[in-house]
Amino acid sequence: MKRTLKRGAGLSAVVGLLCALCGCWDNRDIDHRSLPVVMGVALHDDLYEVVLQIPETSQKGIDIRIISQTGKTINQAVDKISERMETSVDLLHLKLILVETEYAREGLTDSISSFMRARDISPKTIIAICDEKLDPFFDYVASSMTPKGTTLYDCFEKNAGWNPQMSLTRIWEVYRSIHSYTRDVAIPIIKSGRSGTIDYLGSALIKNGKMVDRISPEETLLFNSFNGQSAQGKIEVMDHASVLILRSSVRHRSKFAHGTPHLDVRITLKVSIVETKGSVTSKLVKKEVEEILAKRFDGMLHKVQTQESDILGLGQYFRKDIPRAQLRNWRTEYLPKLKVDFKINTIIQNDGNTKLT
Amino acid sequence: MHTLIQEMKNKFSGDDDFFALEETFMDSRVVLAGFNTLLDIATTKLGLQAYIEAAVLTGTARDELKAELGEVCDRSDSAKARLSLLTGKLLICFEDDGSCVIMEPTPKPLNRAIEPPINENVFQGSLNSFTEDIHANIGIVRKQLLTDNLRVGSYHIGTEETTKISLLYYEGRTNMEFIHKLVGQIQKNRSRQIENLQQLSKKIMGFPSWVLISKFSQTELPQEAANFLRKGRAVLFIDRLPIALVVPSLLWDVFFLDSDRNLPLPLMLFLRALRLIGAWLTVVLPGLYVALVSVNPEVLRIEMAISIAQTRVGIPYPAIIEMILMLFILELIIEASIRLPKNIGPTITMVGGIILGQAVVQAKLVSNLLIIILAATTISNSTIVGLQHSLSLRISKYVIVIMAAIYGVLGILEGLLLICAYVASLNTYGIPYIGFSSKKDEIKHG
Repeated sequence: MKRTLKRGAGLSAVVGLLCALCGCWDNRDIDHRSLPVVMGVALHDDLYEVVLQIPETSQKGIDIRIISQTGKTINQAVDKISERMETSVDLLHLKLILVETEYAREGLTDSISSFMRARDISPKTIIAICDEKLDPFFDYVASSMTPKGTTLYDCFEKNAGWNPQMSLTRIWEVYRSIHSYTRDVAIPIIKSGRSGTIDYLGSALIKNGKMVDRISPEETLLFNSFNGQSAQGKIEVMDHASVLILRSSVRHRSKFAHGTPHLDVRITLKVSIVETKGSVTSKLVKKEVEEILAKRFDGMLHKVQTQESDILGLGQYFRKDIPRAQLRNWRTEYLPKLKVDFKINTIIQNDGNTKLT
Repeated sequence: MHTLIQEMKNKFSGDDDFFALEETFMDSRVVLAGFNTLLDIATTKLGLQAYIEAAVLTGTARDELKAELGEVCDRSDSAKARLSLLTGKLLICFEDDGSCVIMEPTPKPLNRAIEPPINENVFQGSLNSFTEDIHANIGIVRKQLLTDNLRVGSYHIGTEETTKISLLYYEGRTNMEFIHKLVGQIQKNRSRQIENLQQLSKKIMGFPSWVLISKFSQTELPQEAANFLRKGRAVLFIDRLPIALVVPSLLWDVFFLDSDRNLPLPLMLFLRALRLIGAWLTVVLPGLYVALVSVNPEVLRIEMAISIAQTRVGIPYPAIIEMILMLFILELIIEASIRLPKNIGPTITMVGGIILGQAVVQAKLVSNLLIIILAATTISNSTIVGLQHSLSLRISKYVIVIMAAIYGVLGILEGLLLICAYVASLNTYGIPYIGFSSKKDEIKHG
């Protein structure tokens, strides 16, 4: 009996302490949290401007609420927004961070580090550059994307609106680029579109967290397939035909001789013919695809070498050849000297549902 | 008058249904005693008459006739005589030499027929179920198991009020140490009185009473009982209880039915997997709702988070209160539908359906999603085998709901850990609850 009493007392003490010490009164239900999907960041006169796109639930459906504040830090701005709202702002669901072009040119290092440090922002969050002022852009978003709260993010979602000519870069990749000697990233650039959603303008070359140049969407496609991202589905337009890339594979071979890096790149593309103009032969289509891609690659490589921004991660293939002390000079010393032998092998897997004439 | 009869008359003086009739058998006076509510006196007398006539014709001596009629007993054994009378036997006392015979009379039909099971449904299996009569039950098991290795031990428990229990086991497959332990416990505590299974498990078997999961696995299907016997478990029958108690009970009894084996193997595996998933969902779903809605919404996809937030607009209570409230109503509905007679039962189902289905949501007391979660929980709770198991499962989900409300998704893990630890701590005389019953002749897959 005594033992039972003792046990009962112990148990109730444990349960009591559980209730008293757990801190569960701080839990907020999902309907009392605001879950911003997109955050826009700009820097004007040393003041951060933060714009949050928050899907608001209502009886009818989902409305988009755009709120902006300025602050000395991004966090201060977010706190100001949270103060002014009836619910608490919870950045856990942030999917997309939009940065103004000017701010990207000045350098993102500080904010990327703080995003990485913050516990409530996922390192998986996609980053993009907005090629206009944030306010008009978000005004446009609010007026044209209301039926669904996540439209902007869906444009970058791989199982939704993503296209192979768009680069897809996460915050952690930018962070890696800032701290790595041999790899940079490309960040997609967008702008409000005319009819409905957004215009995709290509990608920004990033060097040490700063935007240095741009590449076109076509070059981004090549960049994606070079990095092993699926380039499937893209229609390549030429003078005579357009083809659908079904599968691409890349092989690299690196050689380092007398302080000059050499790289052999072999890309194998399996394509299907979608559209032709006049009479073309498969030989001609093959030749044109190879030519056009080689030209594009050369153009992109030229930009990479002149801007010293290694978005293709070419330095990765020479890490074993260059001592660590000199590796920090990869971008400035070795990358401009890099010789690339680029070959494309095209296989026309099928002619579509009809034969080529 | 016969001393034994006198003693019985004194003992049952307040019972109107006790009779002591004086008769003459082969020129000697006898007294027939018994309860006319338990035995059919007219038919019994006719039977007796036939015996006596046959004895007269063949010239059988009286002592031989006594032996033919039934068990001859000593006049001093009044306890035995009393028990025989109470179990519906006829006591025949010979006045001249004072000897007694306990005879099996024609009983009054007080037992129901062997019927299909009521609490358990059978899918492609034998439809018999156990009944109240312990002899019928043992007989049914013998029909299922045509082997000379089935052993039956019967014990009368209690002094003031006697309960008959029988222990069945399959010799050669059962762990005899366990059987000796069981028999030892029954023998040791046979003077204690039992009225229900709680008392059986505490007073006779010596199991602790604060357990969530019974040490007896119950079944009312002879096929299942026979299968348990084949696997080396012991089966206990209690007179007047139409279920077989299987000891030791094991975790896998909750998921595996023997009649599953009448289906092709892949289908059997599918069914068993369904039951496992059902049990898991019952325990986890309510907790998951609470955790995802109030503690860790970041786990959800954004689209899901928004639509959940939308269903919760304007709901006054936090998720945990909402959940506990609705679970409580659901428990009430389940309990009420068991309690009510069959012809009023549908009313409860209907009223409950209205509450759960529409009214609560329209009144903005709980969210739509919660109703879906509740329905899924209740349905999956019923996939497992045996009502007593689903009860333990129903209780254990509250642990997870509370832990989830405090610690979120991590709390679900902690709650599961607590439940697993508890289940793992259970054992029956050293046989662990989560163990597999593995005997040498056992077929695979449970």
